Amino acid sequence: MPEVAAARKIRLKVNGVAHEALVEPRTTLADFLRGGLALTGTHVGCEHGVCGACAVLVDGTAVRSCLMLAVQADGAELMTVEGLAESDGKLHPIQEAFVEEHGLQCGFCTPGFLIAIYELLESDPSPSEEAIRDVLGGQMCRCTGYQSILRAVHSAAAKLGAARSASATPGA
Amino acid sequence: MKPAPFEYVAPTTVEEAVSSLSGCDGEAKLLAGGQSLMPLLNMRLARPDLVVDLGRVAALDYIRESDGRLAIGAMTSKRSVERSGLVASRQPLLHAATVLVAHPQIRNRGTVGGSMAQADPAAEYPAMAVALDAELRVVGPDGERSINAEDFFVTYLTTALQPAEVLTEIRVPVLAPGSGWAFTEVARRHGDFAMAGAAVTVTLDAGGHCADAKIVLFGVGPVPVRPRGAEQAVNGERPGEDLYRQAGRKASEEIDEPLSDVHASAEYRRHLAGVMVRRGLAEAVARAAAARGDA
Amino acid sequence: MAVEIPKRLEDLPTSARRWVGRHVQRREDAALLTGRTEFIDDVVLPRMLHCAILRSPFAHARVVKVDTREAESLPGVVAVVTGEDALRWSHPAITAPDGWGTHCIAAQKVRYVGEPVAAVAATSRYEAEDALERITVDYDPLEVVADPFRAMEESSPLVIEEKGTNVMLQRVFTWGEVDRAFADAAHVFTEKFRWNRVGANPTETFGAVCEWDPMSLDLTVRGSIQSASHFGLGRAATFGLPSNKVNVKSHPHGGSFGGKGGTRGTDIACMLSRKAGGRPVKWIEDRMEYLVSGGSQAWDRHYIASIAVDGDGRVTGLDVKLVDDLGATGEGYGAISAAKPLAAFTGPYTIPVARYDLTLVATNKLPASPYRGMGPPPHFFVLEQLMDIAARGLDIDPAEFRRRNFIPSDRFPYTIPSGNEYDSGSYEEVLDKALDLAGYAELRRQQAAAREQGRIVGIGVASAIEPGVFDWNAYAVVGMQGTGVPEGATVSIDVLGMITVRVGFAMEGQGQYTLVSQLVADYFGVEMDAVRVVQLDTQSAPPSFGPGGSRLGVAITGAVLGACERIREKMCAVTARLMQTEPANIELRDGKFTVKGMPGAEMSVPEVAGTMLARSDLLPPDVDPRPEATHVWTAPGRAPADEEGRAKSYLTAAQAVHVVGVEIDPDTGFVEIFKYVVCDDCGTRLNPAVVEGQTEGSVAQGVGVALYEEYVYDEEAQPLTTTFMDYLIPTVNEVPAMEKVAVVTPSPFTPLGAKGCGEGAIHTTPAAVMCAVNDALVPLGVLAREVPAAPKRLWKLIRAARD
Repeated sequence: MPEVAAARKIRLKVNGVAHEALVEPRTTLADFLRGGLALTGTHVGCEHGVCGACAVLVDGTAVRSCLMLAVQADGAELMTVEGLAESDGKLHPIQEAFVEEHGLQCGFCTPGFLIAIYELLESDPSPSEEAIRDVLGGQMCRCTGYQSILRAVHSAAAKLGAARSASATPGA
Repeated sequence: MKPAPFEYVAPTTVEEAVSSLSGCDGEAKLLAGGQSLMPLLNMRLARPDLVVDLGRVAALDYIRESDGRLAIGAMTSKRSVERSGLVASRQPLLHAATVLVAHPQIRNRGTVGGSMAQADPAAEYPAMAVALDAELRVVGPDGERSINAEDFFVTYLTTALQPAEVLTEIRVPVLAPGSGWAFTEVARRHGDFAMAGAAVTVTLDAGGHCADAKIVLFGVGPVPVRPRGAEQAVNGERPGEDLYRQAGRKASEEIDEPLSDVHASAEYRRHLAGVMVRRGLAEAVARAAAARGDA
Repeated sequence: MAVEIPKRLEDLPTSARRWVGRHVQRREDAALLTGRTEFIDDVVLPRMLHCAILRSPFAHARVVKVDTREAESLPGVVAVVTGEDALRWSHPAITAPDGWGTHCIAAQKVRYVGEPVAAVAATSRYEAEDALERITVDYDPLEVVADPFRAMEESSPLVIEEKGTNVMLQRVFTWGEVDRAFADAAHVFTEKFRWNRVGANPTETFGAVCEWDPMSLDLTVRGSIQSASHFGLGRAATFGLPSNKVNVKSHPHGGSFGGKGGTRGTDIACMLSRKAGGRPVKWIEDRMEYLVSGGSQAWDRHYIASIAVDGDGRVTGLDVKLVDDLGATGEGYGAISAAKPLAAFTGPYTIPVARYDLTLVATNKLPASPYRGMGPPPHFFVLEQLMDIAARGLDIDPAEFRRRNFIPSDRFPYTIPSGNEYDSGSYEEVLDKALDLAGYAELRRQQAAAREQGRIVGIGVASAIEPGVFDWNAYAVVGMQGTGVPEGATVSIDVLGMITVRVGFAMEGQGQYTLVSQLVADYFGVEMDAVRVVQLDTQSAPPSFGPGGSRLGVAITGAVLGACERIREKMCAVTARLMQTEPANIELRDGKFTVKGMPGAEMSVPEVAGTMLARSDLLPPDVDPRPEATHVWTAPGRAPADEEGRAKSYLTAAQAVHVVGVEIDPDTGFVEIFKYVVCDDCGTRLNPAVVEGQTEGSVAQGVGVALYEEYVYDEEAQPLTTTFMDYLIPTVNEVPAMEKVAVVTPSPFTPLGAKGCGEGAIHTTPAAVMCAVNDALVPLGVLAREVPAAPKRLWKLIRAARD
């Protein structure tokens, strides 16, 4: 085992901002985002890929950032929970739905849920109950019992759908 | 829970990957999707000197059909397989096995080759590969070779891959006309590793008797288990609940030494395997009958 | 100054209540949803180091030698501590029962797998973990005791030799003429039950950042700490420090459920900080540390229990014998979970006499911790199975059997045999509503039809009490001292009428900052956005215990409304002076101070506050010029427990009935919940959205412990459930959809009539699910006595029945 491995330079974009950094190969993406880029909204709950709290989008797909090395994200475009709301503070419709449906309590697992749901609704704007459960099944929440999160996903899908049809209406 | 130090290379071709592996003095590990290796690294249960990341070998990400077979690159994600219309229509058993793997967020990263090489006895893919008589293409310092799925899985977490070999492709035949199939498993929670599962394929002959039955069990032994006695018991027989039950019993008796852990004793696993065979056969025969009707 | 705290919603000084009692969106959410809330692992301080802890692989072994020289020489490593430092700088943990504590790092021997033996502070967690691998420890393995019955034998190895026994506590509490009740009973039903270890598992583990100045010995601890004040007193005792040298700042936590623990890791980080010249040292417990050695495990119980029933189907006595395996030490306060059932021993029933034969035993397992509900959930599992067994024995419908034994509404306040007083309730109404919503009669018809087809279908109807607002006297029987649990709040109004509330507890998920804002906004007739809640550390905060024991919603309501009342009195005096009348003529309503009987003679809250802050020359001489007040609320009338442990302990008694439908797969033993109905009565619902959230989450945890979750050890006390692959937290696919309905019987004893409701459904869910499972198994003639009812267990039972 090497005592230390040489750090490598990586370049990536997170929430639209370009970064260049030196990382040790063994640094997980979660630790790099949190420690290296101070994006502490991504939470670490189990570090073995079960709880889903650390989900981030890498090139558009939701992944466990504890199960990825930072060096693997070289060249990638990422989005973390910090990238969801607009810069003026306006919440994303998924976030709004969480507020309205009481879809969070302690909020620690929530960033992972938001990212996973974001990916789901981007790829499948009106997902079936089965598709929703398939995705949420990979995210653990100990507070809510999930019922309010299910309601929030349905509500968010409706909000996003309404926004899409409004913007698709000619003259709107 | 942080990985021990390791050197890291990210080759862009299979050849570079092979030479990185063969050039390593100590232990080298291939990193595919990382969904099994990364937890082991984080727990320091895997402690390679060198990690060879296949993530940048773009040529290993594809799903193609040729000569009645689907060829899938080892670095194709399970998510791609799941979303492939080709897979869903040409080999639905592969599709069914894929969506039982964990959750979409894991399938986004987890690869076809990674699951094969990990060879977890409770995982879906090795059983799928054996059930479909898959051929695994491997490249090493001495060139390319192919290994039959049944020979590929040697024992618990161990494959026929040599230290400097890279699994590059898996080929599975498309579903034969008239063939029925099922992929069943029982897991504590949706998405967990199975306590027991069965992949089944079967056809019905002109007289409506079972033929070509193939049964592969997983979660019950160090590698996917093929209960040949149960298969034979089915072939030539008229399908029905009694036959399925009998085949299930036979299959569970054929298991050598089922695994035992906190979720299931060996005895319980043996029993569950029989239940999975029974249910799988019923489902597969129903599909075979439907396929015959279509034809 | 005596303060009258509004007892009912109608008593608030508003004619159009806008916030309290309404479904209010939470003020906490925006920051949480955008990743801006500062959890403890987000804290970065200048010069901060990172701690990693080396833990014992043995359940019981002498520590012969610890060699840290190589680790110390690694680059990045700043400090290393071992058991010798713990002996030098700290005392054994304070425990209940008393005297069952050890040092935070094992010095002579390790007593459970995962016990710390050394620790490192380095410039990164990665380096700290590297350094752990360079520490060599020589162990001399000792015989292990992993079973409490073995531990009670003469020949058993001793976990703590100095004690001369592994029995931490053995007592029999007898409340009334129990022997006579059983002798006179028409029927007696006795069963054995087993509740396996389960635990909290919040998605955030424990973490702390500690700074211990080696010169001044001032100690500052930041952490995901449930009760900052209590934690601070614990650290002062552990390190022999004057309590005013310890300052604790609790950070928002990612859930707790009683299972944050973390004292050992904190103490270790403190010692590392002292060794590192006072540099801040961060310790973040990882998930495997949490599962193996954290505040993760509770309720490892073996029961034998009996009920006596008369010829009319009335329960006349309850006899419960409990052997509780608390693990290696008493540091986790697992013992209080064995004491808490006294607060609701006989459940919602008029059982007149009871006995509790309680044995707490030490073994080489992880010390047990609290967990949501703190002990009654297993007790109610036992009681409710006995109720069903008796109902079946007497051929009475289980719902009817419960109705017959419920405490009637006109008998409150009602004192139970174990001494606690229930404030109020409407148990029959709760039952009726639950049965109605569930369509109980139809469910029974469907069950009969399913049974005809050979399916294994069951319906459970269970009821339990959620004791709310704890007092220490509840745990006197296991050695907790004292009475009184304070919660304080300081409310200040600024010159523009904006209101700040200072509290001593951190956000944990139950929406209490929102509740505080609701209360103040309605009280002073302002928008909720005009209220800001600020959290203080222990050196500045008003007295505060924080969340725990289903208390904070009630307690903070008392504190906030008390402070508002005090401000109102001051402002009335000021307004009276300015209006040239008597304070008694001034009234606060809808944000205005008016002179009674003089329409138009009024001043707004900002006007009065502004005058007070700017023009002290105009104020009455005896009035404090600040529009600010602190009130500290505590449950009234708590007194020490008597010899038999009897006391008015928990102030409120919420009640619930759950109706559950299950089907068991005869081939696999899997349980599917196809119906889940909740009716509960937790008094006034201050924010119904939050109450419902607590209920839904607590049902999920109840389903987890009933069917999925279990910490498993082998015979050598090696933990086998060390990851989330093995300790099975329910996901969305395991938690049933729930139908809910509420009854509201306001408490006569609390601010606004609210009852404790945070722990909630876990009191009832495991009992109800197991009642349904056992109802399903009736035709097979077998009983599921063990929780969780994992498929492997049910399959075995079903197979045994069919062979």
